[in-house]
Amino acid sequence: MSLSDDTGTERAATVAEAPTVFRLLNVTKRFGGVTAVEGVNFDLRPGEVHALVGENGAGKSTLMKMVYGLYKPDEGTLEVGGNVVEFSSPRDAEEAGIAMIPQELDLFPELSVTENLFVGRHRPRTSWRTLDRNAMRAEARQRLHSLGVDLDVTTIVKRLSAANQQIVAIARALVGEAKAVVMDEPTASLTEREVQQLFGIISDLISGGVGVVYISHRLEEIFTTSDRITVLRDGHHITTASTNELDAEELVRLMVGRPLNELFTRSPHRSGEVTLEARGLSRAGEFEDIDFALRQGEIVGLAGLVGAGRSELAQTIFGIRPPESGEIRIDGEEVRIHSVQAAMERGIFYVPEERRSQGLILPFSIKNNITLSILDRISRLGFVPRAERQTADRFAKELSIRGASISDPVSRLSGGNQQKVVLAKSLAREPSILLLDEPTRGIDVGAKSEIYRLIDDLAKEGKAILLISSELEEVLSMSDRILVMREGRITGEFKREVATQENVMTAATGGESRSTLNGSRKEASKDE
Amino acid sequence: MSAAAAVLRRLTFSREVVLLGVLIVLMIVMSILSPFFLTVNNLLNTSRFFVEVGLMSLGMTLIIITGGIDLSVGSNLGLSSVAIGFSFAAGLPLPLAIVLGLVVGTAAGLFNGLFITLLDLHPLVVTLGTFALFQGLAYGATGAEAVSDFPGWFAYFGQAYLGPVPGQLFIFIVAVVMVWLILSRSRFGRYVYAIGNNEEAARFSGVPIRRVKIAIYSGIGLLVGMAAVIYTSRVYTARGDSGLGLELDVISAVVLGGASIYGGSGTIAGTVLGVLIIATLRNGLTLAGVPSTWVLFVLGVLLLVAVFFNEFFRVKEE
Amino acid sequence: MSEARAPTEGRRVSRGEVLRRFMVRPEAPALVFLAVLVAAFSLSSDKFLSGTNFESIVISVAVLGIIALAVNQVVLCGEIDISTGSMMGLCAVAAGAVALSTGGLILPLLAAVAVGALCGAINGLLVTAGRIPSIIVTLGMLYALRGVILLVTGGTWITGVPNEARVLGTGTVLGVGYPVIILFALFLVMELVSRHSTWGRNVFAVGGNRRAARFAGLPIDRVRVLAFTLVGVFVGIASVIYMGRAGSVQTNTGTGLELQVVAAVVIGGTSISGGRGSSLAALTGAVLIGVILNGLVLLGVPGIWQQAVLGALILLAVATDVLRRRLVEGKA
Repeated sequence: MSLSDDTGTERAATVAEAPTVFRLLNVTKRFGGVTAVEGVNFDLRPGEVHALVGENGAGKSTLMKMVYGLYKPDEGTLEVGGNVVEFSSPRDAEEAGIAMIPQELDLFPELSVTENLFVGRHRPRTSWRTLDRNAMRAEARQRLHSLGVDLDVTTIVKRLSAANQQIVAIARALVGEAKAVVMDEPTASLTEREVQQLFGIISDLISGGVGVVYISHRLEEIFTTSDRITVLRDGHHITTASTNELDAEELVRLMVGRPLNELFTRSPHRSGEVTLEARGLSRAGEFEDIDFALRQGEIVGLAGLVGAGRSELAQTIFGIRPPESGEIRIDGEEVRIHSVQAAMERGIFYVPEERRSQGLILPFSIKNNITLSILDRISRLGFVPRAERQTADRFAKELSIRGASISDPVSRLSGGNQQKVVLAKSLAREPSILLLDEPTRGIDVGAKSEIYRLIDDLAKEGKAILLISSELEEVLSMSDRILVMREGRITGEFKREVATQENVMTAATGGESRSTLNGSRKEASKDE
Repeated sequence: MSAAAAVLRRLTFSREVVLLGVLIVLMIVMSILSPFFLTVNNLLNTSRFFVEVGLMSLGMTLIIITGGIDLSVGSNLGLSSVAIGFSFAAGLPLPLAIVLGLVVGTAAGLFNGLFITLLDLHPLVVTLGTFALFQGLAYGATGAEAVSDFPGWFAYFGQAYLGPVPGQLFIFIVAVVMVWLILSRSRFGRYVYAIGNNEEAARFSGVPIRRVKIAIYSGIGLLVGMAAVIYTSRVYTARGDSGLGLELDVISAVVLGGASIYGGSGTIAGTVLGVLIIATLRNGLTLAGVPSTWVLFVLGVLLLVAVFFNEFFRVKEE
Repeated sequence: MSEARAPTEGRRVSRGEVLRRFMVRPEAPALVFLAVLVAAFSLSSDKFLSGTNFESIVISVAVLGIIALAVNQVVLCGEIDISTGSMMGLCAVAAGAVALSTGGLILPLLAAVAVGALCGAINGLLVTAGRIPSIIVTLGMLYALRGVILLVTGGTWITGVPNEARVLGTGTVLGVGYPVIILFALFLVMELVSRHSTWGRNVFAVGGNRRAARFAGLPIDRVRVLAFTLVGVFVGIASVIYMGRAGSVQTNTGTGLELQVVAAVVIGGTSISGGRGSSLAALTGAVLIGVILNGLVLLGVPGIWQQAVLGALILLAVATDVLRRRLVEGKA
């Protein structure tokens, strides 16, 4: 399936004939002793959507940074429009027609939409040599309009929604008459409807002959939008194929090297008493009227799209910020959780989504990372005893943390082992309620299955576990019960036996399945 | 990276060794400039001068490790000194006046800590404001006068000897040991480093960030109070402009000692060596007859050079 | 498309919207506070609102205001400069020395501006090429330059500056003092530059999101060096005005000025973290400081308290900014 109007074969032929927008030939990039990317080929044709997939650390962003002028390949060449080029900065890449929209959306929050489009670019001037703001605003409006959107272009960007900020970022990328646009995880913060809007924009882009590189973890989106898929694993080029030649299962197998269902461990557990209860929890703009209960020994999956409010909910329960209304009960007793310390005292621990920026202190040793959460428990008269080392060692062994000794900085470990350190830190606290936020994101297969086994063991020990995950397979396989959130509310609850991909996705997206929305968008674009 | 830079980098790995080397070289230079420098008498007397800066630098080390800064320490010293002198002149028994000085210093630091944490403001601009506020309060309350008639025993703090060694040196050594223990062996010290390296991850690990920050700013306030007692006793006068400009010495000492101005690293050993280097510089240049005007200049340049080398040789991560 | 609207041409805007738009501007609290203070002081003292009093306020803060306009740009691009007091002393020394030896106005002015630009450029280079944080650079320079002043003058004052060199401080045009004219002229220049020049727009970008600015290919180092150098130029001009008014240059000229300058910028509404603010904020802040200090004198508060008031104002300004952001704008 792809987004253009032409039939599959006609389009394939047109696309195949055209010269490439850019091509990376046999490129290699090393950082110190680590090879990030080796011998990779990648090319982008005009008018195509080329998905770039792979686990975190596979080399996707390194590869694209070479196209965008942030890195120079150590070996291999970059060709643009058939000519070999060497970029020394993103400026060069932009002049060659290559634009990139990073996940963080390099926008200027205090400046208006108009200003954002013109930063670093030539601005129209009046005969008095002052900036012609009217002309700038008109051009901004026109560019947004061509993306199918009308905004007040004098709005300061920080006041726009995530989706609109993304659109401004795209408009900015296109100001330079780009021939190629690289989008890195573009749908990470968008609602379902906004995702469809984005697909519409991409569709218009490619019919104008622009090539789009689409980097994403979301397999469903990749199958909906792309023409070709390139898979990277551990810095190597695994394959490049037409989208319709692959299916999801095979794609995952290529990405991880092992079929999906071998990963999960699921033994039957008995659920005990209700230990955590939320009633009417709300925080404006994040989540509303949340009611749910967690039992001892139960794994409750919390599914939903990014932006549904799941992390915010978990963080509120963990005391990062207070709820504005509603109550939390632990073992039947109402509690006020006004700080992280209070949550930890109550036996709650949260494993954050962002491993590197929220879960770990990278320059610290593995030992110091693990014990950070229990320093108050193990210290005597305020001092940290030597026995700290044994405690950390114990957890490192229990979780099979490999790759460095516990005195080494945690930055030396691979992603999977780093995640184990984060888990070790939370387990050191001996929590009875564990809130796991995307615990297996961006880690290799081996570590993933180890973590699944661990989660299973923890449930067997009687811990109550909330498993927040965007990977449906994971949620479906591991949970006893699945809660679904959409735009801040709980929209579905399914027992393990009855949960299916369909009904969970429906609850997560509000009942509009992707295929029908896509179809109606195609209809609309035909009419224009 | 060239081979020379790589070798240099390995050497600075043990920053304390490099600093020790610099100190020794400096002492040699100073003894060449003046024959009086390397006498026991002079060295011991120098230690009088650096105890005040040293005490404050101990506290500043923790603040800079957390990525903060405190520009108000000099003014705080003046305020605390004035609190001692003028409360005594107003009739308060001197022991109580001394306690008051400590209290004022700590309270001023607490004020900084509360303002910074509760309003989530940048320490730079808050302590710039309190730099002016504390100095202003000291001037305003005293009308720019001074108090000098203290009883004889007051000189004990700043001018006494215990054996051949100046009394305050012992206070300093005790303080160094205590702060070193706190920073490197206690969980509080671990929290300080955690906050300086990744405050968000520290929060998610249950580190009581606000409490730690309030504690370090109050802590330096207490150290400033102690320094104020010693200083006032040494010069035997309480004036509103005491401590003016000391923040330069204090921050320079900490930075010279290897702490990154961006936070995350720093040691007490390094800071102490930094203090010694600055004290040697000041004392040696004065003995050699260099006008105090040059000394200011040299200190300013020294600060710039110290930070430059710090960051230049620090391992840069992509 | 939650924010899609009809095209903005001819859109009628409600009064509530206009008020909200004003209150959200960075200068708003300072302007409001200024208006309130002016009203309060003029009510409590008839002398306050007389033309001569107001002009004398502006003259007294002209030096402050001119330097604040330039330091404003440094703060906007995400840096800080606390060396301006010593810089002004040095520029005044240069101007005074040239005035005594060659006379005239142009040469002393050029000398001051050249010295200022050099100091500013050094600051800028140390920050960019030296990769030293600007707080450290300018703290070090604050003391280093003070030492240079003492070195150059040998501790003696410069007195008896000829009248023709003092014009910018004492002269008037159409009854209005030169300092006022120069202040407003430079204000207009900075407004124009800030709004319409590429450098002016880049300053906001560099201060607002340095990473994005780098990726957009903006010459970040050049932007910052220019900002610091501009401070030097404006300090040079201000120093000639100072010399004009004072008639002499002392070794401690300018001491403490840097604090007032930063206070003016911050109190006026420019954010200390960069990317947000305006020249109007700097000007308002300077005038506000002048009004407050003048008001204190009128109220009979001894001058010895000025430093304390200044410090309290800075704290008040930054606290208000935080609170206002939380109330008016809500969380970003």
